[in-house]
Amino acid sequence: MIPTAFDYARPTSVDEALRLLAQADDAKVLAGGQSLLPVLRMRLNAPDLVVDLGRIDSLRGIRDIGGGGAVAGGGGAIEIGAMTPYHEILASDEIRQELTLLHHAVAEVGDPQIRHRGTLGGSLAHADPAGDCGAVALALEAEMVIAGPSGERVVPAADFFQDLFTTAVGDDELLVAIRFPVHPGWGAGYQKFVRTAQQWPVVAVGACVHLADGKTISEARIGLTNMGPTPLRARAVEEALAGVTPTPEAVGAACAAAADGTSPPSDLNGDADYRRHLATVLARRAVLAAAGHPQ
Amino acid sequence: MELTHRFTVPADVATTFAAFDDVESVAECFPGAEVTSVDGDAFTGGVKIKLGPISLTFRGEGEFREKSLAKDGSSGRMVLSARGKDRRGNGTAGAEAVVALRPGAARADGGPATDVEVTTDLQIGGKVASIGRGLVQEVSTTMLGRFTDCLEKKLT
Amino acid sequence: MTTTEEAPTAEAAHDGEIGRDRRRKEDHRLLTGRTRWTDNIAPPGTLHLAMVRSPYAHARITGIDTRDAQASPNVVAVLTGADLADTQGVLANAWPITTDQVAPEHKPVAVDRVAFAGEIVAVVVARSAAAAVDAAELVDVDYEELPAALDLKDAAAATPENGGALAHPDLGTNNSARWIFDSAEAGTGGDVEDAIAAARSGGILIEREYRQQRLIPAFMEPRSVVVDPTGEQITLWSATQIPHITRFLLAATTGVPESKIRVIAPDVGGGFGGKLQTTPEEWAAFAVARRLGKPVKYTETRSESLLAAHHGRDQWQKLTLAATTDGTVTGLKVELLADLGAYVALVGGGVPVLGAFMFNAIYKFPAYRFDCRTVLTNKTWTDAYRGAGRPEATFAVERLMDELAAELGRDPLEVRRQNWITHDEFPFTTVAGLTYDSGDYESATAQAVEAFGYEDLRAEQARRREERDPVQLGIGISTFTEMCGLAPSRVLGSLNYGAGGWEHAEIRMLPTGKVEVTTGASAHGQGHETAFSQIVADRLGVPYEDVEVLHGDTQVAPRGLDTYGSRSLTVGGEALALAADKVVAKAKPWAAHLLEAAPEDIEFAHGKFTVAGTGEGKTVQEIALAAFAAHDYPEGIEPSIDAEATFDPVNFSFPHGTHLCAVEVDTETGAVSLRKYVCVDDVGTVINPLIVAGQVHGGLVQGIAQALWEEAVYDDAGTLLTGTLADYLVPSAADLISFDAAHRSTPATTNSLGAKGVGEAGTIASTPAVVNAVVDALRPYGVHDVRMPCTPARVWHAIQEGSAA
Repeated sequence: MIPTAFDYARPTSVDEALRLLAQADDAKVLAGGQSLLPVLRMRLNAPDLVVDLGRIDSLRGIRDIGGGGAVAGGGGAIEIGAMTPYHEILASDEIRQELTLLHHAVAEVGDPQIRHRGTLGGSLAHADPAGDCGAVALALEAEMVIAGPSGERVVPAADFFQDLFTTAVGDDELLVAIRFPVHPGWGAGYQKFVRTAQQWPVVAVGACVHLADGKTISEARIGLTNMGPTPLRARAVEEALAGVTPTPEAVGAACAAAADGTSPPSDLNGDADYRRHLATVLARRAVLAAAGHPQ
Repeated sequence: MELTHRFTVPADVATTFAAFDDVESVAECFPGAEVTSVDGDAFTGGVKIKLGPISLTFRGEGEFREKSLAKDGSSGRMVLSARGKDRRGNGTAGAEAVVALRPGAARADGGPATDVEVTTDLQIGGKVASIGRGLVQEVSTTMLGRFTDCLEKKLT
Repeated sequence: MTTTEEAPTAEAAHDGEIGRDRRRKEDHRLLTGRTRWTDNIAPPGTLHLAMVRSPYAHARITGIDTRDAQASPNVVAVLTGADLADTQGVLANAWPITTDQVAPEHKPVAVDRVAFAGEIVAVVVARSAAAAVDAAELVDVDYEELPAALDLKDAAAATPENGGALAHPDLGTNNSARWIFDSAEAGTGGDVEDAIAAARSGGILIEREYRQQRLIPAFMEPRSVVVDPTGEQITLWSATQIPHITRFLLAATTGVPESKIRVIAPDVGGGFGGKLQTTPEEWAAFAVARRLGKPVKYTETRSESLLAAHHGRDQWQKLTLAATTDGTVTGLKVELLADLGAYVALVGGGVPVLGAFMFNAIYKFPAYRFDCRTVLTNKTWTDAYRGAGRPEATFAVERLMDELAAELGRDPLEVRRQNWITHDEFPFTTVAGLTYDSGDYESATAQAVEAFGYEDLRAEQARRREERDPVQLGIGISTFTEMCGLAPSRVLGSLNYGAGGWEHAEIRMLPTGKVEVTTGASAHGQGHETAFSQIVADRLGVPYEDVEVLHGDTQVAPRGLDTYGSRSLTVGGEALALAADKVVAKAKPWAAHLLEAAPEDIEFAHGKFTVAGTGEGKTVQEIALAAFAAHDYPEGIEPSIDAEATFDPVNFSFPHGTHLCAVEVDTETGAVSLRKYVCVDDVGTVINPLIVAGQVHGGLVQGIAQALWEEAVYDDAGTLLTGTLADYLVPSAADLISFDAAHRSTPATTNSLGAKGVGEAGTIASTPAVVNAVVDALRPYGVHDVRMPCTPARVWHAIQEGSAA
């Protein structure tokens, strides 16, 4: 398990990191290393240069950017630096209260060691369809702040995930922050189905639900993990849930459409048919949990 | 794994067949692929599979094992097989692709069309196939999808 | 007739050493890693090896271009099978189960053909491990792929005539051996075909086919080997369970005199049978070191370990159980296919034969037939894995007993009770020809049932079924026995095994009063140092702290047959007890002389020799000093009270136990979760309850893992798909519950300690308990079997299919 030799750079600013990426032919960005290091050790990749973002302080932290952020909708927003490790997100009261779904999902990532090393931005830029956070970013309608040679641009999560391991971040760009519109008063449920505790999800479903007058669902947002090459929104379910009183029966009926339009993989943890079924069950459970009817 | 891709080309079977017969042109559609030599129905080349965390370079050779075009242009079929190994000795790849061409429904403008079906039996072996959730197989499948998408665009 | 006594509770105060909870003395160094693992050993100038392995399951090697690798920085040599052909020796099969067994020659480094993906084709030698790995990538091997025999059933049926793929075309068949036991022929019981015919015409016939999936031992420390050829002897350090057998076979297959080879197994981080092997890596390292005259080291990666270290299990079991309508079993027929992989491993062919004696388990079956075929395929070789043959047998019979109960509509415990050997029937000679010396299945079961709350859980199960609860409760039972303490040498001889089953021990009484003990049983995590110290302290009456146990070095403990088959305590521990008794006997004349008394007046107790009726005495440790000085001792005896002993048991030992498992099955997702696990094991006399608990808990996890998680999977080209621990699912504590593990004791009669062995019990018993529980939960859904591992997807599909039927 020895990687091939590579040059290693540890810039202290985003600009410096971007310059390094611009100059390199074949560079990989190290943003915690929980996915990259195994790949290097197994020699599935042999970059000339590894750019470690671990010393760029500006990429780390959780900031309330209020309504002045670029986030659509006019509400408040929280910006999380791309290099913020999961454990900091998990420990944040603000996130637990206003981005509860993210809190639940992060709590399920890997194990304590991984949560201390792994970063939210690293995971999103890696775009593993089985990663916990992609579907959550979609469901919470996050925006991705991408820095490049010509400055920063903001890409909605819906446009960020393009294909298997492929995002809107170019070879000479960096994901620097993720902006989440706050969801005060929204209920959240995250259902991650694994065969053993320390495993990528076979399927996971994140749901956040807003109840009008505390009784009927006014809006639901549902993200699916590992149901295709990218994280997905279960739009059909979201539409079916609008106006529904969240009884198990009604939610179950709406969630029957959870796998519509998905193309889940078949692998050793389950075939595609099983995953499609699992998505409906997990969606129902996640929505009921979010609506305050945990099973 | 066997993967099937289908698309329709706005040309007759013979024209489509000729397009597929041009290995170098077809290879342009595979990201990172290059043909280094062509000798009759055989060719050599390489392909760089670079997606997300993975970057592997396979080198190898291929050949058209079968090429048949019905004289009346009613069907065409070619069988292409290729095999290679990772530059770093960490894996092998073998593929057999069957391209079946059939006249499609006439286009709105009355011009000819050809239905193309590409069935690829892809076999990834060695260390790269043994590690991590079949990652390399998934990546290969994605690359193949991009290849046929490109072919479709190129021919249409 | 045997007696049963309650085992002492863990906290009980204890005077003696036997039965005392002692924390393991080896644990501090093992847990902190501050010890000598093989990979830590680095003789000056050590060169590093990397293996170039075949990516193909079956291929002819048509060319190996080593030029680029040779030219790579810091590379010393690149050696192919052809380069090493004359010196590398072969890997031996020590247990040809039949005289006409078909076995391919197994060269450590393949010469012209590879027979499984992962087989070594070249060895790169470099000055650093990184340089070796870099250069290994540059070795360019050309292969011509050959048809691969992969599926076990297809391989068994393949012939040159029908065109089926042959793992080794020159052998003309994939069938390596056929081994049959028939109780009618052996005179141990009736004809099973009669029992089946009778059952067919008015009894009950249970016909099932079970799959024992392929497993990977997945020990914690990867295999590692260091060979130092400098000096008079060649020293080989290896993370192995079997230093003595390795030394013998190195000598036997390479021509180097045994006296010139020293094998050391330093601290070894787990094995589970997976290091009961002589490996291509060891043999290759030995050959390379000899050729270069320099020390070499090879340590495998985890992925290499999963790929190339031997696998376990992998059988198809076709079973026919005949019974009367009142539930009395009248016969069992077993037809078995066992996948050997590409080569017949050290004891690989014998693994299913070990199971042959266990299919009748604790039951009084009157007729039995076992018909096994071992089959070569183009996959990694298989060999012993914790339980080796016995888990497979126990699984089959315990699943069948549940199926019989289901067929009868009766409680599975009741059906077992009706068929098992009762405590007043020991010693009992079974239909498989073994004589069980002791046991008490009734008491162990009664205790387990009580602790489990069996009736309450059955009531809850009925309620959930009634309510159509999406989460169903299942209860699984496994009343198992096994044969431990491998093994009586004569029995092994009769089974055509290549060695004996004795074990050796030596006790050296040092002048300072310390006691140096050597054992041929080489521990790899079991706690020998602690348990053996307790035995010696007990027998000699010396402080536990004064005993030092040495093992795992053929120069320190020259005689031994190593550690496997739950044999260390029952065979090795007994050898030690016998050696201690000899020490006492040898010290007695010294005591008499020093105390100026007649030897017949000397008594020995609590470490002290005393003259009967007086307070005067000498401790055995004082006598050790006197013997060292040897200034004053009787005529006609030697100036030493050291002793050695070799013990060869007359019979196996037969631990048994009752395991009860409750699972909850989420019928919506197929997820199985453990609710409760209770076991009551009878492992005979317990030396150290803490170690026994550790063995039982660890064993349970491995057995449960077979039921729920682990499976080595190949694709249809023979590529191992489970080549990392992200794919081969070894559970962690987070996946399990607290076990309620108790023990009872009916002492074994075949060793003076009364010990039966515990290393494999949990693994053997737990797998069927869990699968029985899963199936029990799903019976209302028309499910009668779920293939292991019972993954959520398999459980869910079984429910869909069962409900549809």
